[in-house]
Amino acid sequence: MQVTIVGNSAAALSALEGFRERDQTASVTLVSAEPVPAYSRVLLPYYLRRRLSYEGLFIRQMSDYARLRVATEFGARVERVDPATCELELADGRRLGFDRLLLATGSSPARPPIPGLDGPGIHTLWTLDDATRLDSLFREGARVMVLGSGFVALQAAWAARQRGLQVIVVELLDQILPRVLDAAAARILHEQLLAYGVDVRTGTRTDGVETDHDGKVRVSTDGTGAFAVDAVIVATGARPNDGLLPECLEPGKPGIPVADTMETSVDGVFAAGDVTRGPTSAGGPREIHALWPTAVEQGRVAGANLAEAGVAYAGSLSMNVTEMFGLTVASLGRFVEDDGDDVFESRDLAGIRYLKLVSRAGVPVGAISLGDPEGAALLGRLRPFVRQRRLLPDLPTFLEGRDLGQRLVGRGAIKEKTPCA
Amino acid sequence: MRIVAVDPDSCVACRNCEYACAFRQSGDFDRRASHIRVNFYAEERACVPLTCMHCDDAWCLEVCPAAAISRDPETGAVQIDAARCAGCKMCLLACPFGNVHFDRTQGVSGKCDLCGGDPMCVRSCISGALRYIEADEAVDLRREVLDASLRRLLHLDKGEK
Ligand SMILES: Cc1cc2nc3c(=O)[nH]c(=O)nc-3n(C[C@H](O)[C@H](O)[C@H](O)COP(=O)(O)OP(=O)(O)OC[C@H]3O[C@@H](n4cnc5c(N)ncnc54)[C@H](O)[C@@H]3O)c2cc1C
Repeated sequence: MQVTIVGNSAAALSALEGFRERDQTASVTLVSAEPVPAYSRVLLPYYLRRRLSYEGLFIRQMSDYARLRVATEFGARVERVDPATCELELADGRRLGFDRLLLATGSSPARPPIPGLDGPGIHTLWTLDDATRLDSLFREGARVMVLGSGFVALQAAWAARQRGLQVIVVELLDQILPRVLDAAAARILHEQLLAYGVDVRTGTRTDGVETDHDGKVRVSTDGTGAFAVDAVIVATGARPNDGLLPECLEPGKPGIPVADTMETSVDGVFAAGDVTRGPTSAGGPREIHALWPTAVEQGRVAGANLAEAGVAYAGSLSMNVTEMFGLTVASLGRFVEDDGDDVFESRDLAGIRYLKLVSRAGVPVGAISLGDPEGAALLGRLRPFVRQRRLLPDLPTFLEGRDLGQRLVGRGAIKEKTPCA
Repeated sequence: MRIVAVDPDSCVACRNCEYACAFRQSGDFDRRASHIRVNFYAEERACVPLTCMHCDDAWCLEVCPAAAISRDPETGAVQIDAARCAGCKMCLLACPFGNVHFDRTQGVSGKCDLCGGDPMCVRSCISGALRYIEADEAVDLRREVLDASLRRLLHLDKGEK
């Protein structure tokens, strides 16, 4: 049997490893457009911040692929999947056959419909090449504008600021990090950005971008007028790289829809990671959770099922954590309350400057923590409750870390091999 | 593999394990650096040391986007390579037990690594509450323990099993 994996990142690698745990004999080929062994996108801002070396970005070596006995086709872009002949068509004209296929092609930065965004001086932070390009542009005193204020945008802004650049962040909505924080938490972080010398413009639309002959980029916005900067970093979200097999898409909806087995609607073809629209732990319609942990989990399920293990995915739960501007920012699940939800809020719990827990009938559904790293650990302990929709019986005990049920019952995990996720 | 098993009935909350671990981590006796943490329940007159269980399916290990977490082939310990860790804290958010900690001075995550097979917490335990034993044995022990003393404590989690 020939198993072929397209992609070489979180989803592809977890699938590969999950597959090989169960099947040591099938022939496996991994095809990736990028010419290098796997590196981690999550780490790119840490590299720009000089927290990590270039070498530190790489998470696999060639010997790891050899150990897993996988044939690698790096630097090979897949143009199309032919489901009739079960072949991949590569950009260099070759065709590769498969019996089972995994599409783990991830996502790419979305380009908002702003005139001039394809000119020189316009950058993204998504790939290794992007990061090395930006690294050479990050000269002290240079001026950059970041379009968008999501995780990638603000991490780029923080890296630039730490390297001594002047940074302007422009966000269309009225708050920063709209998908990761509620308005109250966003305000605290917003103040923090200002304190770090970042010029933040929320509720501001970018109308157009022009690159001058002297290399300066002129950005016009509504309200606040025009800016001249040395570079623009576009970070307004992602869109799935879902074009290889149009047969498995639903009209008008981005992302490859997958079942809880990570199978697509096309026989023998699986998908995992940022490219998918998959089941969520909350139930309801499928969603795109373009996050590293989701890609790892989905990859694992896909890998097992490529080996016919019959594993079902319990659904993804969005979780975010990072440190920026001196604060640990973490959130989980649905953290904006609906009618009928209970909200616990604390403005100072042992160094956690903002903690919010949203629950419904005693079952936590989401949370935000801003401040000390301990907040991330607290949200980590909360995660099983959210995911398994379990009652959180005694909040004060939980907040103090003195809840024993959860923490000791888990000891059974050692023997019973239940995944601790 | 062997793990650090905990018998809450024997623990006297002397916190020697915390001091010993902190000293190994930081060369200092600031308990905040310890990877084993003793919870003390005054009302129930009980204490429970908590530390990493080196889960078979360790989610922290799998999710680490820097490939900084691995399993020691000899001891089975799930361990963090501080040189590879970027400090992104995904492992803190991944651990359902709160047993990964963040070292703010170094900017990296840290956790129990079983001290390479000779855990200092166990060495320094004066009451026999901590033992370094085979995981299978620990599960039996756990069942016993859960049946007896922990019942009493678990009412702290009213409604929990
Ligand atoms: C700067 C940055 C910071 C981030 N920070 C975080 C964070 O803190 N937390 C978090 O949870 N997530 C973060 N993310 C998101 C996270 O990186 C993604 O969710 C994760 O990488 C998804 O993994 P994936 O395997 O699905 O796809 P990707 O990582 O996108 O990998 C896709 C792979 O497919 C290959 N490929 C694509 N198309 C083709 C083709 N046609 N032919 C051949 N190969 C192809 C690519 O070369 C690549 O190897 C961040 C992303 C970025 C860019």
